[in-house]
Amino acid sequence: MDKRSRFPKIILAALVATFCCLAMYAQRGYMPFNDDEGPSILPKDAAEKTEWAFARLMYPSGRFFGQQGYWTIDAPKAERQFVQGVRRLTRIHTRSKEEFVSLENDEIFKWPWIYAVEPGHWLLTDENCKKLREYLLRGGFLMTDDFHGTEEWEVFMESMSKVFPDKAVVEIDNADAIFHVLYDLDDRVQVPGIVNYPFHQTHEKDGRVPHWRAIYDDRGRIMVAICFNQDNGDAWEWADSPHYPEKYTSQAYRTGINYIIYSMTH
Amino acid sequence: MFEFFFKYPATVFSKGQFVLLGAWPVWILAASIAAVAAGLGWHLWRRRGFLTGARPAAIWLLQTLLAALVLFLLWHPAISIATLRPQQNIVSVLIDDSRSMSINEDGTTRLQQASKGLNDGVLDALRKRFQVRLYRIGKEATRIDKTDQLTGSATATRLGDGMIQALADTSTLPLGAVVLLTDGADNSGGVDRDTISQIRQRQIPVHTVGFGKEKVTKDVEISDATVPARTLADARLAADVTFRSFGYAGQKAKMVVRDAGKVLATQEVTLKGDGVPQTEHAQFNAGIAGAKSYQFSIEGLTGEENAANNAVTRLVNVESTKPRILYIEGEPRWEFKFIRRAVEDDRSLRLVTILRTTQNKIYVQGADNEKEFEAGFPSTAEQLFAFSGLIIGDVQATYFTAAQQDLIREFANRRGGGVLFLGGRETLSDGGYPRSPLAELLPVRLLERKDTFHRDPGTFDLSALGRDSVICRLEEKPDRNAERWKKMPVLADYQEVGEPKPGAVVLADVMAGKRRSPLLVTQNYGRGRTALFATSGSWRWQMLQPVEDKTHEMFWQQLLRCLISDSSGRVISSTPKPVLADESCVPIRVEVRDKTFKTLSNVRVMAHVVGPEGVTADVELNPAPLEEGVYTADWTAEKPGSYTAEVTVQPPDGAKEKLEDMGRDVLMFRREDGVAENFRVAQNRELLEKLAEQTGGRYYTAKDMSKLADQISYSEAGITTRETKDLWDMPIVFLLALMLRSMEWLLRRKWGVV
Repeated sequence: MDKRSRFPKIILAALVATFCCLAMYAQRGYMPFNDDEGPSILPKDAAEKTEWAFARLMYPSGRFFGQQGYWTIDAPKAERQFVQGVRRLTRIHTRSKEEFVSLENDEIFKWPWIYAVEPGHWLLTDENCKKLREYLLRGGFLMTDDFHGTEEWEVFMESMSKVFPDKAVVEIDNADAIFHVLYDLDDRVQVPGIVNYPFHQTHEKDGRVPHWRAIYDDRGRIMVAICFNQDNGDAWEWADSPHYPEKYTSQAYRTGINYIIYSMTH
Repeated sequence: MFEFFFKYPATVFSKGQFVLLGAWPVWILAASIAAVAAGLGWHLWRRRGFLTGARPAAIWLLQTLLAALVLFLLWHPAISIATLRPQQNIVSVLIDDSRSMSINEDGTTRLQQASKGLNDGVLDALRKRFQVRLYRIGKEATRIDKTDQLTGSATATRLGDGMIQALADTSTLPLGAVVLLTDGADNSGGVDRDTISQIRQRQIPVHTVGFGKEKVTKDVEISDATVPARTLADARLAADVTFRSFGYAGQKAKMVVRDAGKVLATQEVTLKGDGVPQTEHAQFNAGIAGAKSYQFSIEGLTGEENAANNAVTRLVNVESTKPRILYIEGEPRWEFKFIRRAVEDDRSLRLVTILRTTQNKIYVQGADNEKEFEAGFPSTAEQLFAFSGLIIGDVQATYFTAAQQDLIREFANRRGGGVLFLGGRETLSDGGYPRSPLAELLPVRLLERKDTFHRDPGTFDLSALGRDSVICRLEEKPDRNAERWKKMPVLADYQEVGEPKPGAVVLADVMAGKRRSPLLVTQNYGRGRTALFATSGSWRWQMLQPVEDKTHEMFWQQLLRCLISDSSGRVISSTPKPVLADESCVPIRVEVRDKTFKTLSNVRVMAHVVGPEGVTADVELNPAPLEEGVYTADWTAEKPGSYTAEVTVQPPDGAKEKLEDMGRDVLMFRREDGVAENFRVAQNRELLEKLAEQTGGRYYTAKDMSKLADQISYSEAGITTRETKDLWDMPIVFLLALMLRSMEWLLRRKWGVV
């Protein structure tokens, strides 16, 4: 085949590819959710000194869609909306602005409650694992969320087993105080991420069954609360959207609040 | 010397009555002296010759004095004195036969000195004049025939009891005097006023002869160790050990605390000057529950004369109870979580918490049952007073009703509970406390403004009193402890408060930039204690230090234990003599209160005593006549060893309350024999002089006891006769006359007019 006969085919392939890309971009417009709609302006009371702030853990990982690290997912809209609920529904003195904390320095010890999103992608260094272990043993609390399926669980555990090689991950019993410290959460459902829109299904990958797992310390207190095969972060983030089902948001708020109050009482 | 000039012993002059035996009245003597003076004056004036200026006056004065002396002698001066009739009176000689008299000084024991003194003529001289009865004194007086029967082995000295016994022995006989030979080392705390009063009633002079050095040259003696009678398991105990030293000023010694031989604490002390009372502070861990017998000793010195007085023992009942502390918190806070965690490890404290999670919901942890706080914070005395301590977190004053505020005040005042206030954005000055009745409980005055709570870092600055406090003791050695506090992470926040109230103790301040404010303050309030910790940021001590570091836990456990250390149950038993040093009578006192901690007067209080060698006894206590709710009894511990008395309270007849609900308590005491004589071994001359003075006797040293027989005769007690002793022939009179005449001659010679 000469060069002249190949040219139209290349042009055609390029046109098809462009069309596909445009079609995908067009699809985006049909989704009722848009990450760009997150708050860009700091709340007026962002600098208020409070007892508690939503501390999001920055961790090393690959790049989410080649841009930011996985730890940034849903930030900051998810926490900004969630903390409004914490303020309204509890007596916790709560800051409107989140705090980003890292395992690279000791500032993390000033934030006894931290949240890690998408830990199915984290790649903690040995030093990170050591510091996280020390943080948790001193009395820190870690809530993980938004990771799904066997593959992400294995990635999560690869680092977590370095943090606590001596401790098992177990399912939290329904009777545990963490499900009753404020709200009774005996009947829980899988909280889906927005990728499941319009929510005919609620799971991602092979993570069909939601799990509320934990790592306990020697005195039976939860140090790491693991929300697996569920996406509470999206439920917080899209709490203001009429397209995201209220029942999931409601449960995610209650779960988050219970986890915070538990961490401040146990 | 006195007798050489004055013819008679001083006793004659002190006890006798001066009289003039001349037939003419005294006014004639005075008139005669005046007339002679005038005559001499006139005579000298007329014949003054070369005497000029004041010289005639000086001569006149000397001549007048001489003439007055002669006239005075013409009136026959004398002393009238009561004297014991020979062989018609008894003299009791009491000899201290306790172990302290066996102390060897300069080659002989005190007892040997006493025996030798008596046998070298004193006894014979006394027997010539009186019937002599010999007694040996230990815990009691025992009659003996000879001094050979003295052994110096009595384990205690009761001088007062011994004298009373000797007096009783001769109550129907003419007792002329008591002679007491002793070192004055009395183990009952001296001779009390009642004993002296009884002796004075019979007008019997007690002559004391003191033996032993009045000051030891090289010795350390522990005089006391104060330690709480009861505490909780694992609690940090503070003891004040008081001692004196002689001959070791400036030297270092070791103060050691032991429990059953195991060293609990060691501390270096620098000894002060001779005889200066010195009190040192010791801290140690009480350990597991049980009856503890702690020994406090001063060690590490060489050349001590008496090493047996370097240690004392104190009993402490380390209780196995787990008192409950109620913690109410107004909002979820990290401090709440970390306080709970700190106390979780404490085997002797139990924390019950009420947390306001939302505006209308509380979360209760550690309660006996779910319904215990269904209605929120307790509103009855029975419910609140079941706790020993109360922590009030970030709670506005108005959250409590007026009745609850009164209840909290009564909790400290009447129940004797401990109340701790924490700092927070909605408490103290920011929570309406300045105008609340709860302000009275606070150990500081509150600022009359808002915005006193700052979420800014603050440094914990230990005060001088804080260094000695069991709350702030993280290290055994005070210097290291202070250093450790300086290295502590900063507090997450702090709250400004006003000045500490009178009587409050500031253990630490918070430093924030140039701002300084009381941080940790305690005070006694009523029967209980209140405290302030004006921060909610001590959790940083836990999160910013390695997990192995237990500073945070230790601080909170010590703070809470101290808070409730005065908080007792409804039945409190006590004794002023937990250690019976060579004595047997133990006074028992029990205070009984009902569930609302009001005194209970119509109950039956029993003490079941279990002692060594199978000793058991049931003692019923009687209501104290002047104190409501107080029951007392005296019981005799017959054998040495440790005793435990379980005190139970039985309800009045017809009462609905069950026996176990009335409360109970355990009292411990210990009888130790053979220890008392090791203490206060120097001669107590002050006691002996005082005893002699107050009874009309005289104090003698061992050297001048030979004069005793002559001087003892002058007594108003027994069968006496009154003697008149002339004074005109006293050598001092002639010496005085000679001196007056010689002076005149010398003056005249000097002036050249002889």
